[in-house]
Amino acid sequence: MNDLFLSFVPGKSFLHRLDPRTKVLGLMAVSFCILKVSSFEIMALMAIIFAILVIACHLPFLHFVRSVRPMLPFFTFIFLMQLLFTEGTHLFDFGLLKGTYEGFLLGSILALRFIFLILFAALITATTSPSGITSGIERLLRPLPLKYLGISSHDLAMMMSLSLYFVPMLFDSFRDLRDAQISRGLDIRKEPVKAIMSLTVPLVRMALRSVDEVALAMESRCYTGEGRSSMYVLEFRSLDYALLVFYCVLLFLLYI
Amino acid sequence: MIKIKNLSYQYPDGSSALDSITLNIRKGEFVAIAGKNGCGKSTLLRHINGLLPPTEGSVIVKRMDTSDPINLQEIRRTAAMVFQDPQSQFIGMTVEDDVAFGPENLSLPSAEIKRRVSTALESVGMSGYRYNTPRTLSGGQKQKVALASVLTMEPEVILFDEVTSMLDSNSRVDILSLIRQLHEAGTTIVYVTHLIEELVHADRLVLMEKGCIIQNGNPREIISKISSGSFGFDAPPIIELSKKLVGAGIIKSSFLPLSKDELLEAICRLK
Ligand SMILES: Nc1ncnc2c1ncn2[C@@H]1O[C@H](COP(=O)(O)OP(=O)(O)OP(=O)(O)O)[C@@H](O)[C@H]1O
Ligand SMILES: [Mg+2]
Repeated sequence: MNDLFLSFVPGKSFLHRLDPRTKVLGLMAVSFCILKVSSFEIMALMAIIFAILVIACHLPFLHFVRSVRPMLPFFTFIFLMQLLFTEGTHLFDFGLLKGTYEGFLLGSILALRFIFLILFAALITATTSPSGITSGIERLLRPLPLKYLGISSHDLAMMMSLSLYFVPMLFDSFRDLRDAQISRGLDIRKEPVKAIMSLTVPLVRMALRSVDEVALAMESRCYTGEGRSSMYVLEFRSLDYALLVFYCVLLFLLYI
Repeated sequence: MIKIKNLSYQYPDGSSALDSITLNIRKGEFVAIAGKNGCGKSTLLRHINGLLPPTEGSVIVKRMDTSDPINLQEIRRTAAMVFQDPQSQFIGMTVEDDVAFGPENLSLPSAEIKRRVSTALESVGMSGYRYNTPRTLSGGQKQKVALASVLTMEPEVILFDEVTSMLDSNSRVDILSLIRQLHEAGTTIVYVTHLIEELVHADRLVLMEKGCIIQNGNPREIISKISSGSFGFDAPPIIELSKKLVGAGIIKSSFLPLSKDELLEAICRLK
């Protein structure tokens, strides 16, 4: 089984073949749109565009359901907060809790925004190999004067992709640790402070150790932080140029 | 190929890990290194890989001194290393990325990287897992990917640091047969282990204790000299049995049978 969250689905569709830079920039453009619009019509339009892209690229819808699912409690929380704490026309009364019509609209828009952000991010990661994303970001960062900060664009891109890799690993370690401590008689509800200490201290120690080990493994495989090549060559084709122009027009129309 | 002369090393905290090691490894040799936990095996391998600079003495890999930073990239490409823990040596998010990491650092052209990645995955039998996340593979599969990741640098020497210690016996046999194939194809192998039965394949055995080399020679001769329990490894029952059989004069063999097959053969010759 592969990782479910934001993972890569190999394929040969037009989105797969786009330059990763176009896709990263596209995700940024889409994010700006999502944050700007607050009408349900445009949200619906986005849903349609998203669905067309998914079908055109032969991607399974289930993959995207899985990407959104872990965040659902968070979205529900945002939605409920807006629903209950916005002033306006009463929609329902539930004891002390009062839902308003305005709150319902605001909550839905906010939750939808987050869901669309995740969905489009998942669309990019599903159609771009992780190394493609890393080298795309690396190339986009290259013009920045990073060397005055003492790091290279390779370092920065490497850091991003390593942290993407580390987060699920930390979750795994956390789960193992918690199980180990519970089996040794730790009661999280009775002694919360002790429980937190007994979980975080070893977790941080483990994280530091694996950072050390990964650094060693990278060095051992000739990583120097500069002068790397990439398995996938980045190359703008006509479709990439067309899309870049399209992003500019879109953002221009939205913001001016 | 590898010339280690009077190598001593102290970790920054002052603990001495290696004490005046002298060892030469010829091209194409299969050298096994064994010894108790903490005797300095990993520290020695890290020196050959240029990950640690000698405190005293020198390590020369293919005429390149590891104490000169200019050589390090080429040394690590020439003498690549597979680590003990299958988990913490992954860098890529997919198998393919991880296997490509080395050649990307060598700034090879894209077509060449793709060719090497496919060949390496093919040779360890992991082509079907190209887009999987290394984290979700089994221990044996992880070590195969780790091996593929160093093969893409086309090293002349591969250093293995207890790579089978976290694997079950089936995966162990798999990995070992891959290593033997590499050896037959001409790769120099330095293999750290504490399993006696894995030493059978080696041309030479180096035994270490407390940072020193205490034995260096033919694996069979050394194994027949030492008693079980010393040097941090227990002889498996099969070797205990053949020792007893040879000792009692029941089997007349010019060498000590180390594996099931060899013992069987010696017994069959009795008739
Ligand atoms: N990072 C370190 N800092 C300080 N001392 C260390 C460090 N790593 C290892 N040592 C010490 O150096 C000695 C040799 O360690 P090394 O890891 O080389 O042993 P080893 O033979 O590989 O053992 P094992 O069989 O457990 O892998 C040990 O006494 C160990 O405590
Ligand atoms: Mg070790």
